Amino acid sequence: MNAVNQTQTNKVQAFEPKIIAYLCTWCSYTGADTAGIARLKSPANIRAIRVPCSGRVSPEVILRTFEEGADGVLVLGCHIGECHYDNGNHRTAKRLPILRALLSFAGLEPERLKLDWVSASEGERFSKITTEFTQQMRELGRARWRIPTQQWHAFHPLMEAPGILEIKPNGSKTGEVKALEYRPSGTYQKIEAGIQETAQRLLSSGEVSCVIGYERGPRGRVRPVFISKSDQVDRLVWNPECTHNLATYLSQKIHDGNQHKPSDTEDQQAVAVVAKACDSRAIQVLLTENRFPREKVHIIGVVCDGMQQSIPVHQRITESPVSPMDNAYSPAYQARCLNCDQRTPLIYDTLIGDSEKTVPKVGNPIAHQLDILEDNPPLERMEYWLSQFDRCIRCYACRQACPMCDCPVCLYERDDSLWSGMGTGLIEKRAFHLGRAFHLAGRCVGCNECERVCPMDIPISLLNLKLAQEIQNAFDYQAGLALEPSPLVTVLSGEERLS
Amino acid sequence: MKYIQKADLLAWLDITAWEKNLIAPRKIGNQILYQPIENSSQICWDYIRPDLSLKEAFFPPTERLFMMKSNSQQVELVESMPEEEKIIFGVRSCDALGVQMLDELFLENIPPDPYYAKRRENTTLIGMTCSQIGADCFCTQVGGAPDDPRGLDLMFKEVEDGYLLQVLSEKGQEIYESLPKASDYYGKMPDRPRGKPLFIGAPESIDWESHFDDEYWMELSDRCLGCRICAYVCPTCRCFDVRDEPIAGQPGAFERLRSWDSCVRENYRQIAGGHNPRAAKGERLRNRFYCKFFYYPQQYHTSMTVACTGCGRCIEACPVNIDISEIISHLLEVAR
Repeated sequence: MNAVNQTQTNKVQAFEPKIIAYLCTWCSYTGADTAGIARLKSPANIRAIRVPCSGRVSPEVILRTFEEGADGVLVLGCHIGECHYDNGNHRTAKRLPILRALLSFAGLEPERLKLDWVSASEGERFSKITTEFTQQMRELGRARWRIPTQQWHAFHPLMEAPGILEIKPNGSKTGEVKALEYRPSGTYQKIEAGIQETAQRLLSSGEVSCVIGYERGPRGRVRPVFISKSDQVDRLVWNPECTHNLATYLSQKIHDGNQHKPSDTEDQQAVAVVAKACDSRAIQVLLTENRFPREKVHIIGVVCDGMQQSIPVHQRITESPVSPMDNAYSPAYQARCLNCDQRTPLIYDTLIGDSEKTVPKVGNPIAHQLDILEDNPPLERMEYWLSQFDRCIRCYACRQACPMCDCPVCLYERDDSLWSGMGTGLIEKRAFHLGRAFHLAGRCVGCNECERVCPMDIPISLLNLKLAQEIQNAFDYQAGLALEPSPLVTVLSGEERLS
Repeated sequence: MKYIQKADLLAWLDITAWEKNLIAPRKIGNQILYQPIENSSQICWDYIRPDLSLKEAFFPPTERLFMMKSNSQQVELVESMPEEEKIIFGVRSCDALGVQMLDELFLENIPPDPYYAKRRENTTLIGMTCSQIGADCFCTQVGGAPDDPRGLDLMFKEVEDGYLLQVLSEKGQEIYESLPKASDYYGKMPDRPRGKPLFIGAPESIDWESHFDDEYWMELSDRCLGCRICAYVCPTCRCFDVRDEPIAGQPGAFERLRSWDSCVRENYRQIAGGHNPRAAKGERLRNRFYCKFFYYPQQYHTSMTVACTGCGRCIEACPVNIDISEIISHLLEVAR
């Protein structure tokens, strides 16, 4: 009697992981059948979901699977070269390691997501992979990824961030603040005059219908401006506050407001845009993605000396427009500029400025933060990120400011709540931020506009940089350096370093 | 004038935080937000105004209106009424005024909104007048003041070593009675708040109808990103969306949710079939200002002339410097 009880208790206590296996119908699913016919054992923990191709298993599906409480996700496809659709599994092979890195950065143990190849005849291999994976998950224990169903509150107490990182204002996360070394003010004025002159020429010749640049607002803040009359070009300014990435506005201006409707070439307007080096990279990505024809944009490239951090609100001088040089507040370089050695835009039609001097490169404070985070165990990282996402109010400023985020309807804002609900729960906010980060993998140029515009100071740049690093390590690719598409949408070349 | 010493007030706050649900401005990272407080040391005293408005107290970013449970034959509806009582300390006048404007929609509009009404009933607002006017503040230009008592139950004003207090309602009287010994004050009256409010002119004198077709709106909206910061930080923006969603982990259970929305977002006005009456960004941005200064006074008979409390949050938070004060000045100038 006792012995029976004992066995029952053991049964209850032993942890049995829930594993979802996405099996390609052409190979692995049949492979599972082969295993069955051969009477090979596969663990009962595996819940198989048949998919038309491993390439069909989108990152959102995997994220959702973990959100719903899976302890492990197994994606099995055809061996490379044997895909029924020629190269569907190439996508999987490239995408999954990047997704695994993102999930791991956000606090999931990387072992929980496994990709492997099983052909229809490899029943034994199927049995082996599933048995090993199940055993590994059993040892890892329950996944902590799932967030319990939320209660909606007015003023829910925000999670406190674990003391891993002390977030200082405006990206100066290590406190490594390097004061901006202003070029003699003549440098800025010379560039400013150059921009105005070019704008004047382009507008009066009718070459473009609009010049997108920067102006100083009546209360002193620098902001984007759209000049369409040649007598207004003196509104254009250039100084270290011109931080906005104006590439964001290009599609919309070229397609005359209908950015989501394909327009005929005759309906498109030619537009000129002032671009820093980082902005020019964004334009290269947009051109690669065929958002607009090259000839519709005249790029006024400006040699950049680095941008300053935005001035804290209460130190902002509001009475009269002042040049930043007169300001009592001593501004520092933005974190992204401290690691930038590209002063000259990579693509331009007109270049303004003198490209000989170099920006003082003092290392990358954002990467430093990233390293600190990575040195912490997964659970701490998860706690950190949840505490950051917790502050999100879903204003979508990050997405709206991003030149790359241009979907007609954002996946995370669909009326049918398919990928994330409309609420401001942690589940939705994490799904949005991680999903968006993945959508930017291989496309994000690190302009950090998303983080700058965030009213709640969420360190989005850390997520983007993490994926940029992963992409660089795996594919030797940096977004926007050339007119070449993201490696995540092309076939394997055999030279990738994929884990 | 009644007066309470700072130490006494802190002691009272500690007890209240222990016994009740106390909300007060608190510093979280770089933000100052109205947050639940466990003791008085968590309260932030040096602030212009919290970065998000008070509307969340009555009109949360997301709330469940009711839950639907279905099993094969029956559908059961479960009401979801907010029961929690709250005391909110450190409320700025602009936020309290914002709540009065929300009342027009949620309470005085028939039928009144039961969720909002319940929260309003269960909440006590304790104000703290401003000692510093922020760079983007303009409450005095839209009918408010740094020490406007409207909407508050009790109001404190900082003086040396303590606070003057003013009881403004029955709820305030209850709080007053629970406070430790208030004495009469004969000392120096506090200075006027430091700083000068932003000058914007008189928005109510603008002939809004005549500006509806101005090219200005389209030009202004060129740089608008179409994000929702302005609406979400605003104490009077009150648009929401309602949707039914399944509850994760509970098969057959659904909840009807209400979440904040913003008229500036692209598909806000889109209707079945895909038509969008406010397809252009300029039309959407224009609506935001018309709603504040034209539609609101036209639709509600209210003591407030405009649906803006001058808190300046939208000016401060807009990433591309769309500035309500600049827009008003522009329209006044055009009229001249």
